[in-house]
Amino acid sequence: MINLKKLNISEAPWKIILSASFLSFIGLIALSSISYQSPSVAQNPFYKQLFFLILALIGFLISFLTPKYLIHKYAYVIYSLGAVLVILPFFGDTHAGTHRWLNVGLPFNFQPSEFAKIFSVIALARYLSDNTINIQYFKSIIMPILIALFPALIVLNQPDLGTALVMVSVIFPMLYWSGARPFYLFLLVAPLFSILSAFNVIAFTIWASVIAIVVFYSNTKIISGAGYFFGNIFFGLLSRPIWEMLNPYQQNRVLTFIYPEKDPLGAAYQIIQSKTAIGSGGLFGKGWGAGTQTHLKFLPVQESDFILSVIGEELGFVAIVIVLFTFGYLISHIIRGSFLSKDKFSSLVLIGLASILLAHVFVNTAMTVGLIPVKGLPLPFISAGGTFLLSSYLMIGLVMRFSINYSD
Amino acid sequence: MLKSENIVSSRQYFIARALAWSMLLIIGIRYFQIQIVEHEIYKLKSNTNRIRKVNKNAPRGLILDRDGEILVDNYPVYVLTAIPGEMENKGNQFKLIANYIESDSSKIHSSYKKYYRGRFIPTRLAKDMNFSQLGNLEENKLNLAGVYYDQIPERYFPNGVRAPHLFGYVKEVDRPIRKNLKNKDAYELGDLVGWSGLEKQYETFLMGQRGTSFYEVNATGREVGVATELDETRPIPGNNIRTTLDLELQLFCEELMKDMKGSILIGDPLTGGVLAAISAPDYTPDFFTGLITESDWNSMKSDPDKPLINRYVQGTYIPGSIVKMITQASLLKKEGFEKDKKYYCPGFYQFGDRIFGCWFTEGHGELSLNEAMAVSCDVYFYKTVTQLNLQNLHDTFKQFGFGSKTNIDVPNEANGLIPDKDYMTKRYGKYGWSRGVLLNLAIGQGELLVTPIQILNYINLLSTKGVSPSNHFVFVDNLPLNVKPNLSSEIWDIIHNGLRSAIISSAGTGKKSDPQVEGFVVYGKTGTAENSHGDNHAWFVGWADYKQKKYSLAILLENAGSGGAIAAPLARKIFDKIISKNSYASR
Repeated sequence: MINLKKLNISEAPWKIILSASFLSFIGLIALSSISYQSPSVAQNPFYKQLFFLILALIGFLISFLTPKYLIHKYAYVIYSLGAVLVILPFFGDTHAGTHRWLNVGLPFNFQPSEFAKIFSVIALARYLSDNTINIQYFKSIIMPILIALFPALIVLNQPDLGTALVMVSVIFPMLYWSGARPFYLFLLVAPLFSILSAFNVIAFTIWASVIAIVVFYSNTKIISGAGYFFGNIFFGLLSRPIWEMLNPYQQNRVLTFIYPEKDPLGAAYQIIQSKTAIGSGGLFGKGWGAGTQTHLKFLPVQESDFILSVIGEELGFVAIVIVLFTFGYLISHIIRGSFLSKDKFSSLVLIGLASILLAHVFVNTAMTVGLIPVKGLPLPFISAGGTFLLSSYLMIGLVMRFSINYSD
Repeated sequence: MLKSENIVSSRQYFIARALAWSMLLIIGIRYFQIQIVEHEIYKLKSNTNRIRKVNKNAPRGLILDRDGEILVDNYPVYVLTAIPGEMENKGNQFKLIANYIESDSSKIHSSYKKYYRGRFIPTRLAKDMNFSQLGNLEENKLNLAGVYYDQIPERYFPNGVRAPHLFGYVKEVDRPIRKNLKNKDAYELGDLVGWSGLEKQYETFLMGQRGTSFYEVNATGREVGVATELDETRPIPGNNIRTTLDLELQLFCEELMKDMKGSILIGDPLTGGVLAAISAPDYTPDFFTGLITESDWNSMKSDPDKPLINRYVQGTYIPGSIVKMITQASLLKKEGFEKDKKYYCPGFYQFGDRIFGCWFTEGHGELSLNEAMAVSCDVYFYKTVTQLNLQNLHDTFKQFGFGSKTNIDVPNEANGLIPDKDYMTKRYGKYGWSRGVLLNLAIGQGELLVTPIQILNYINLLSTKGVSPSNHFVFVDNLPLNVKPNLSSEIWDIIHNGLRSAIISSAGTGKKSDPQVEGFVVYGKTGTAENSHGDNHAWFVGWADYKQKKYSLAILLENAGSGGAIAAPLARKIFDKIISKNSYASR
């Protein structure tokens, strides 16, 4: 048993909620620029965001005030609830051809996968903190992978590749945090890379040599080492049939990522317009409300997925650096809380939530500058979007609560 | 409850933080690269994104006559266009439009397909809209999203001058045309380019310089305002070109040739400027403006009278007697030739086993050179030409510019043909031809081919004793150098005497061309050229000296018969016209 003191709210890291609020403030500046020509208040993304921000702050208070032991105790219940929630949209009408949103009788729709990803982290933390598992063995990490994968596969079928990726990505830092050998984590990711690299002979050759070197230096038995190696080659050969299984829109995204110039009016159009907006902004930007890419609507989904491009165009590189630095400060503070945590469950929840945030930030920002294909992931605290804003502040509430070392 | 202890090492903590920061650093570097390093590239891109360049076409230069009368003008016509991206239901809208303008929806559709260049570029649906059609469209505007009308300039011929071959026509630049243009960067699709005649020859003068305006557009391509930070450039209209044509003479000659086939050229030997040029039959000059139907084009192309051909520069003809002055000059140049020696013409001449007839089958009797020129006796030349060789004749023809282009300022000029030894050997083999060809060449028959413009130049040279400048249709600073036949002044005088005799002697073949007006001195020669394609071609060539001026004339009437009987009277009408024009001009 570890000794913990009683709860002392003042020990919560207030810098975290301050950072998040600061990011939301920057988001509001950008949204007000987008909105100033908006015809009605109901359609105005700025006022909508203000309204959701109030809801989100209530959500923050709820999650902040929820006792740790309740979350620990009902981790699997919450997890199951999340799984049911992401299945529900499949029984409703489609929105834009997808099953991402749930109509709950409110004037806005609700995206359950935003909550399911938090619940996945909690369930994983619970599972991994139960000492019965010896994480050093490969077999023992299969169960946590299944926990993360199950809701992710449902979300992938909604289809929502971006959120599914975020849900899966938390598994690696959480396993690492639980003491899994980096080699095993490598073996986990290796098949994915084998599949991707198989489309190019040179890339596949290089990747195969990397596997060989890693396996050689990992002190594995010759037989299992050979198994890992040839297993990956096998995955590579599987990649073609797997490619055929992808949706045309997913294939399209991958293809236009590799050859963006091929289809300047299709998916690559978004990346080109985003880069043009950002690049034309320069050091100090074109000024609030003066972004031509934004206001002449060249920039797509500018209030959510590409909001950082709006900031880049109108407020410049200076604002981008401030945003990126604030995110870095926020995330490294969560990691610090995780490190300082006395108990394993809190530590794992914190590192999992930090991973979710980092995955969102990285995927979204990398997408705006064409480093990765368009994923349709919003930027936490800044992008417009009700459910997402609520879930982001719920996470911040949890982070604040779990960063306090106490016993209920 | 929270029974397991946190076992994260500071090494793990360090790696996690380093990983998070380095991921953000990668993004930061990428933003730096795009926003700072490549800023200028994207700034330009963002400007071209939102700024649409709209061309303002320059009006084409006008074509004027020598006194500044407008022969070819610009006239605005209404065209119906559509912006494809703004149309709602194309098929249905085409049907509606066809209904409103009483046209055929398939016609509109084919025009749409022909002119389509992009979703937001106005695409032409129909042209030459009249006000009642425009009114119908305006009333039903609500059903016609994305349909607009616009004005474009079109060529227009205000003075009723036809001369379609001379003016030529303009064509709209499409992709294949643009690919083959020399200065293709000066043109954009839809611009007009001179395609034949003077429009082509003087394209660089006439075309002008396109202006540009800049509009700000949004992502759907709709104009939202004027981009003020970029200066608009106004179009610079093309230069007018002043032709040497005399409107009155041109119209007069067009009327003369209305139901004829052939060509009339009136020139000014002192300047080389062409005063009138007719190629008949012709077509209305606006034939090529607008969409030509397939059947119109085919009937024009297959017409046996070949109205599309510009006869005076592209047509090649057997000259007949009108080139006897070449034979005459060649003989006079020959040492030992006696111009006063008389030869007997019994109406035919036997050369080897062949009989060569004179056009006057009863025979001219005893003739000297001058007498032979006056009556255009063939036998005289058969008998004398044997003193020459093929090269002698060929050289004189070449000296007068035959067998090569005169460099007249109209495209596609033909060379004609003056045979020499090499040509004959190539064509008939070394032993396939004899000096008998000389007899044919001497009277302008045989392998000879000339263009009317070469004949006009020949007359100009004769009338000025070899110093006439090149023929041309447009006043320009630097004319191409003309050929300069070098004959002694004695020979020139003899030639002039012969041509004068042909008009004034009692048996002169050109008698009927003389208006017999005091001070109006006509020199001339008729020709009746045999040709394998039907009746003889009638020629009259000559000039008149009148009030320190010279007027040269070349008339060709295809399949019309005798030059003296048919062409000479036509020449007289033209000379009468010149005299009457001068009298009221000087009044």
